[in-house]
Amino acid sequence: MSGEELRSIWRWQITLFAALLLLVIALLGISFGPIHIPFTSILRSFLGMDSHLSEQDRSVLFDIRLPRVILAALVGSALATSGAVYQTVFRNPLADPYLLGAAAGAGLGATIAITNSHGNLYGLLPAFAFSGAILAVVVSFFISGKFFAEPNSLLLSGIAVGSFATAVQTYLQQRHSASLRPVYSWILGELTAASWQVVTWSAIYIGVALIILLIVAKQLDGLMLTDEEAYSLGINPNKIRVIAVIAATLATATAVAASGLIGFVGIVVPHLVRGLTHRVTNRALPTIAITGAGFLVLADLGARTLLSPAELPIGIITAFVGAPFFLFVLRRKRLINQ
Amino acid sequence: MIILENINLTLGNRGILFDVNAEIPDTTWTCLVGPNGAGKTSLLKVILGTSPYSGSATDNSIEIYRNHDRNVAFVPQHPQIPAGMSVAEYVMLGRAKKDGWGTESKSSRNLVADTLKLTGLFGMQSQMISHLSGGEMQRALIARALVQEPDLILLDEPTSALDLHHQIAVLNSIEILKQRGVTIISTMHDITLAAMYADHIIVMQNGRILLSGASAQVVHSPELKSAFDNRINVFTLDSGRPVVMPTKDGLVD
Repeated sequence: MSGEELRSIWRWQITLFAALLLLVIALLGISFGPIHIPFTSILRSFLGMDSHLSEQDRSVLFDIRLPRVILAALVGSALATSGAVYQTVFRNPLADPYLLGAAAGAGLGATIAITNSHGNLYGLLPAFAFSGAILAVVVSFFISGKFFAEPNSLLLSGIAVGSFATAVQTYLQQRHSASLRPVYSWILGELTAASWQVVTWSAIYIGVALIILLIVAKQLDGLMLTDEEAYSLGINPNKIRVIAVIAATLATATAVAASGLIGFVGIVVPHLVRGLTHRVTNRALPTIAITGAGFLVLADLGARTLLSPAELPIGIITAFVGAPFFLFVLRRKRLINQ
Repeated sequence: MIILENINLTLGNRGILFDVNAEIPDTTWTCLVGPNGAGKTSLLKVILGTSPYSGSATDNSIEIYRNHDRNVAFVPQHPQIPAGMSVAEYVMLGRAKKDGWGTESKSSRNLVADTLKLTGLFGMQSQMISHLSGGEMQRALIARALVQEPDLILLDEPTSALDLHHQIAVLNSIEILKQRGVTIISTMHDITLAAMYADHIIVMQNGRILLSGASAQVVHSPELKSAFDNRINVFTLDSGRPVVMPTKDGLVD
C-alpha cells in the first residue's frame, strides 16, 4: 500500500454526476407544465438563437418557468445543506433545518402578515416569515444559554420556542378564520410566487450562506469528534458551531420566506447522499447541495404536472415520495446503527 | 517542560482538582494513576488546554490555556466515533492542522500509509471507522496521534477495555512515540503496566497529587499502599520488575 492508494477518499465523479443530473432535471422542469416547451427551443433561446417560440411561450419560459426552477433549486440546496450541517452540529441524525424554531417562527410571521387587519401586508409576507424564523432561532439561542456546553439544550429550547410560536399562530388563526386557507397553503409550501425579484434576493442570501457553509464544511468533520480531540487537531469547535448555525439559519429562513415550509428535504437528501456514498459532511456537502437542488426541482415538476392544470402543494410531494424512499435507504444502509 | 503550580479546578460547585503541583520533563513518559474520580482526566484536559483552571500551567514557559500554537495530540478514553468515515480519513484528520482541513498533501498520504502499517491497520484503510473492534479503534487513535507528529501526547486510559495482547500492542506503539522524542502523559489504572513503561508516576486521589516520582520509587513507597487503603501488595519479580496485586482479605496477606 502506498500513499497514492489513499487518494480516492472522495470520488469527484459522484459530484459531477449529481451536477449533470441537476441539469437534466432542470431542463425537464423548464420544459414540462401546462404548456410544453420543446428542449431544442429552450436550448436555442438560451444560446440566443431563433427559438421559433411564440411571444406567449417565451413569456412562460423566461417569466414563469425559469425563475420557478431556479428558486426551487436554491431552496432545495439551502434546505439540504442546512439539514446536513445541523445534523453534524447537533450530532443528531434526525436534526432538520426547522428544528431550532425556524419553521414555527416563520409560520407565526407569515400568519401575522396574512391576518393583519390594518392594510394589506401580504406583499411583506416573505419579510415577516424571514424575521419570524431568525427571531425564533435567536430566542432559542439565548434561552438555551449553555449551548457551548450541551448542544442538546439548544435543541430543547428550539422545541419550546417552536411550540410557543405555534400556539400564538393557532390563536391568531382562530381569531381570523378567513386566514385559515392562505396560511395553510403557505405552510404546505409553494413556489407559485417565484418571480425574478424573489429569485434575486433568495440567491443573494442563500448564496452567501452556502459559501460560508462550504468553507466551514472542511472543519465540520472535527465536530464529529469530542471537543477535546477537535481542539487538539487545531479547530475551535464552539466557533465552528456558531458560524455553521448562523449560516444554516440564514439559508433556512430565506428558503422559508421564499417558498413556505417545504418539509423533508433537509433530512432525506443528506441521508440519501451519505447513504449512497458512505461519506460524511465535509466532502459530501457540495454533492448534498446539488442533490437538494435537483430533488426540489423534480418535486416541483411533480407538483405542477401530476394533477395538471391543478397544482399540488410541493410539501406533499416531498413527503409522499421522500418518506418511503428515505425508509428504503435507511433499511439498506442501516444508517441509524452505524 | 510542563510546570503545574497550584492548579485548582472547579466545575459548578464541585471541586475537581486541588492545589496540584507537578513538573513533567520533556521526552519522558509520565503516568497518572489513581482510582476513578481522582481527577486524572481533568488534569489531562488542563494540560491539553481545554479546561479553564486557576493557578499556573505552563508548557515551555508559556501559559497553556488556549495556547493554539502547541501541537498536542489527545487520545480520549471514550472517543466520539464518526459514522461514515473510513480508517484512512480518520487517521488523516491528524494531518488537518498541518495541511489545512479537507486537504491532504502527498507527503501526508505517504505518512498515513506508513503509519497504518506501523500500527497494524494495514489493509483496513477503506473500512468504516465505526466497524472497528475496540483494539483496532485504539490503534486508529494512536495512528492519528502519530501522524500528527506532536511534541506532546496525552492519552486517557489507552489500555482500558483491551485484552492483554492488545494492551501490549498499544503500549509498544506509544513507546515508538517516546523514541521519537515526544513527551507522553497518560492515565492508567494498571500500576504494574504503568511501572513497566512509564519513567514517572504521579499518584492522584480525590483531586490531589498523593505522591510522584520515578516509577520504581513510587511503586515501592509505603504511601502507595496507603493510597489504596492497604489493599494492594507489591512484589518484585526476578527481573527486578515490580508487580502490584490487589489483596483479597485472607488470600494474599
